[in-house]
Amino acid sequence: MNIVIDGKTCEARPGEYLWDTARRNGIDIPALCRHDALPGRGCCRLCIVENENAVGSRSVIVSCVFPVTEGLKIHTRSEKIIRFRRILLKLLIERAPQAEGVLLDYCREYGVAGNGELFNDNTNEKCILCNRCSRACQELGNSAIQVTQRGIDKIVASPFNEPSPDCIGCAACARVCPTGAIACTDTREQRTIWNKTFEMVKCAECGKPFATAEELEWMKPKILDFESNLAYCPRCRGRHVANSAMV
Amino acid sequence: MILKEERLTQLLQKFPPERRQSLAVFQDIQQECGYLPKEHIIEAARYLKMPLAEAYAMVTFYRSFSLDPRGKYVIKVCDGTACHIKNVQGRLDCLKRILNLDPGETDKDGLFTVETVSCLGACAISPVMKVNDVYYGNLTEEKIYEILADLYRKEMMKA
Ligand code: SF4
Ligand code: FES
Repeated sequence: MNIVIDGKTCEARPGEYLWDTARRNGIDIPALCRHDALPGRGCCRLCIVENENAVGSRSVIVSCVFPVTEGLKIHTRSEKIIRFRRILLKLLIERAPQAEGVLLDYCREYGVAGNGELFNDNTNEKCILCNRCSRACQELGNSAIQVTQRGIDKIVASPFNEPSPDCIGCAACARVCPTGAIACTDTREQRTIWNKTFEMVKCAECGKPFATAEELEWMKPKILDFESNLAYCPRCRGRHVANSAMV
Repeated sequence: MILKEERLTQLLQKFPPERRQSLAVFQDIQQECGYLPKEHIIEAARYLKMPLAEAYAMVTFYRSFSLDPRGKYVIKVCDGTACHIKNVQGRLDCLKRILNLDPGETDKDGLFTVETVSCLGACAISPVMKVNDVYYGNLTEEKIYEILADLYRKEMMKA
């Protein structure tokens, strides 16, 4: 089926969300709670767009959770949408003035800045509570961290704010965080994340530390031919697989 | 109060070991202990086959759960809309004068805890407070003095 996004006719697939249709057709819509590995959640609201109906009146919809239907007419960068996104970004950056990463990029792009004065000078915050980290952890099957407490006290934490027995130190949470809010320090020997320190395992070929021991242990039952596949870092592993395929 | 291992097992086994039972399980533990001891949360999460982080998120989300020991008498003062406009703050100030406790605090003898809740569902008799399972409506300062004096007297007789 076909839909029109910003004047461009785009091919859409049934069951797809509008955000994904746009992306596949080369139109980027900003998103914070959606990540390529995690479906949209409709909680950051940054992916809003305007939907124009048959008689020309428009309504604001949330593209990451909006299923496409035949004949949609969408505006992703109308004056109103830009204005709304700037307000949303302003609120987010005021909540998390220390944020880095994707959020900061969007703020620059939309010409928004904030120092936390709007909300009681809470100037040290980085987290916008988008849930990406806890969902990534959940998807991987560990659920070592969660959004805890409620209301204005909400915070991402490990159980009882102590090192979590379930954490394997994979740092997926830190990688998906759009604001760089999760502290993860890596040295050649160790990784520290969520108050827990892990020993790093080094690649059998190039010697680069590439995973924690716990992470490999976790993958063991899930990976065929574990020893030959996971002794190497992803780069060397690729080469090995290619070499063994050639002989 | 921390439960004996057998008692906790008994309590858990009233429920099938499924995650959807978690709220009921935590409520029962809290009912029995007066709060949710950390080791019981861990044990319950294990029994329910639920990640500990999710159990922790749940018990910190609901206001009715407490992770810290609470007093023998838990005073829940309603701060819902009806009570709010009927000056519940004045009643809280009164409790503060007598017990020297702000909402969320427990005295050092472990006798009283003062909390505010969002609605006790008894707006017709607002302002309302609840001491353990007993409701007291149409609160005045005099009434609060009387209620607390009664409780003190009861405790003195026991001692
Ligand atoms: S730590 Fe990062 S990923 Fe997690 S909720 Fe906060 S901003 Fe989102
Ligand atoms: S990306 Fe759609 S609401 Fe966050």
